Amino acid sequence: MMPDALPLLTEALSRERVPRVREAIFTALAKIGSPDSAAVALPYIRSDDASQRTAALDALRAMPAAAAAHLPRLLEDSDADVRLLACEIARALPGEDASRLLANLIERESNPNVCAAAIEVLAETGDITSLPVLLRCAARFPDDPFLAFAIKVAHDRIGSR
Amino acid sequence: MSEMSRKRILVIDDAALVRTYYRAALEPRGFIVEEALNGVEGLEKLLLEPFDLAIVDVNMPQMDGITFLQTLRAKELPVSGIPVLVTSSEAGTQDLTAARRAGANYYLVKPIRQETLADYAAMFCGEPR
Amino acid sequence: MMPDAAPEITEDEFRRLADFLYRRTGMVFTETKRYYVERRILERIVATSSPSFAAYFTHLRSGIRDEVEHLINAFTVNETYFYREDHQLACLSDDLLKERVAAKRPGDSIRIWSIPCSTGEEPYSIAIWLLENWKDVDAYDIEIVGSDIDTRVLDAAAEGIFGKRALMRLSPELIARYFHERDDERWQILDDLRQSVRFSRVNLIETRETRPQGRFDVIFCRNVLIYFDDESRRIAAENLYDNLLPGGFICLGHTESMSRISPLFEVCRYSGAIVYRRPQELRA
Repeated sequence: MMPDALPLLTEALSRERVPRVREAIFTALAKIGSPDSAAVALPYIRSDDASQRTAALDALRAMPAAAAAHLPRLLEDSDADVRLLACEIARALPGEDASRLLANLIERESNPNVCAAAIEVLAETGDITSLPVLLRCAARFPDDPFLAFAIKVAHDRIGSR
Repeated sequence: MSEMSRKRILVIDDAALVRTYYRAALEPRGFIVEEALNGVEGLEKLLLEPFDLAIVDVNMPQMDGITFLQTLRAKELPVSGIPVLVTSSEAGTQDLTAARRAGANYYLVKPIRQETLADYAAMFCGEPR
Repeated sequence: MMPDAAPEITEDEFRRLADFLYRRTGMVFTETKRYYVERRILERIVATSSPSFAAYFTHLRSGIRDEVEHLINAFTVNETYFYREDHQLACLSDDLLKERVAAKRPGDSIRIWSIPCSTGEEPYSIAIWLLENWKDVDAYDIEIVGSDIDTRVLDAAAEGIFGKRALMRLSPELIARYFHERDDERWQILDDLRQSVRFSRVNLIETRETRPQGRFDVIFCRNVLIYFDDESRRIAAENLYDNLLPGGFICLGHTESMSRISPLFEVCRYSGAIVYRRPQELRA
């Protein structure tokens, strides 16, 4: 597909309401799989429309390398929901990269739901360097029962040989 | 307690750790727990086997919690009548209204204490506390 | 005796991998299957020369050399034979076709697609099943198409010659009725049945190859989507959607689910089977 398909896809996506056609546009973006095509899908993860958010997120999952280019920025977004969704996008990265980005996020994160989303992915990707970060997080949220549980599980999973 | 009389709960949440957390809350109370990670899988499992309660999160890939609820309530009885407890990280009235409109029986805001979840589950399943 | 060099798997390691596989494929590994699953994982650790579980898991996540596919294969039976998963064939004759013909007149066509069809067991099974079990089989013009990406299996399918193992679920009466026995302990599908199935080479993720196949009432797409990556699954699902008539049905393999693939289809339950449906067209 020619690179200048992107303006057309961008415009089409902004107008489209039929799910089947919207899926097709997102798939076309995923097929291009460039940071620019990921950038077209990205605004929709902020959408009030849940199905649009989901469609955008699924498209980004289908182009992990392209989405990765935007991750550092997304993980610092002022909107907690965006940071939360960004954690899930990070899952598709190589383990070391995901763990590094998510550990950095957790260290500065004040929203427990975002921490939870990061820990969920770290339980899969994390390594020994993730452990102190998890412990510090537990200390920052002593009254959150789910975080305490999640950190324990993530700790056990990562800590295994 | 025989297998037949044990209540069955379907936990629907994208996060494995959340499902594990709920399982740890519900199994010791005698519930049988099954899992799904989005609304499509949730519907499939509800259509195939009987459940006494579904606990579903609002935000999930492929099919979110509200769409799941709307689709479920449009199916035929008895599946369409199953009690559904919606969970969300949002406490706003907009989300609560949307859930109620879609057919939720109750709405809990995360983080949810394990005892709280088990108590509500018992209430919706009709178990004595 | 020398100690086994391969590492054992801890509970946490097992759960880490089980969660990964569940997310990816929907396969659930209960405690009862634990030992069996661990054996398979250890085999893959050895096969990939991984020095530890952690190294293997990193390798698995990386997507290098299709390790996820190898691991899934370790848990699935990939044999093809006649009347495999016949509860879906029963669903076809009992439920799906009844729905499809509600808006059809006698003589109208019914199009059924088997993709991938491999060496033909599935499309021929559909033909035989309908002849044996669907009372309205003569009332409609039934077209069965079998497609695959591999031309060698398609050639074999067109030839229609099968060994004993492929026929193991068929009764002697069925074999006698639809096959003729050759000298070499193999059986060939009778000519007019063989000619009633059309075979075509199609790559499921190439829209320009799927589109010309036209739209179908029912599609069987079993045990292939589970192996595709996220992007390919999206494309395949959209192609399958486009190849279905509104209200048409698609059946996946019994361990597969649209929940890992696409939100485009409605979830339906018929006689204990989950079947997916392209939504009916809304009337103006």
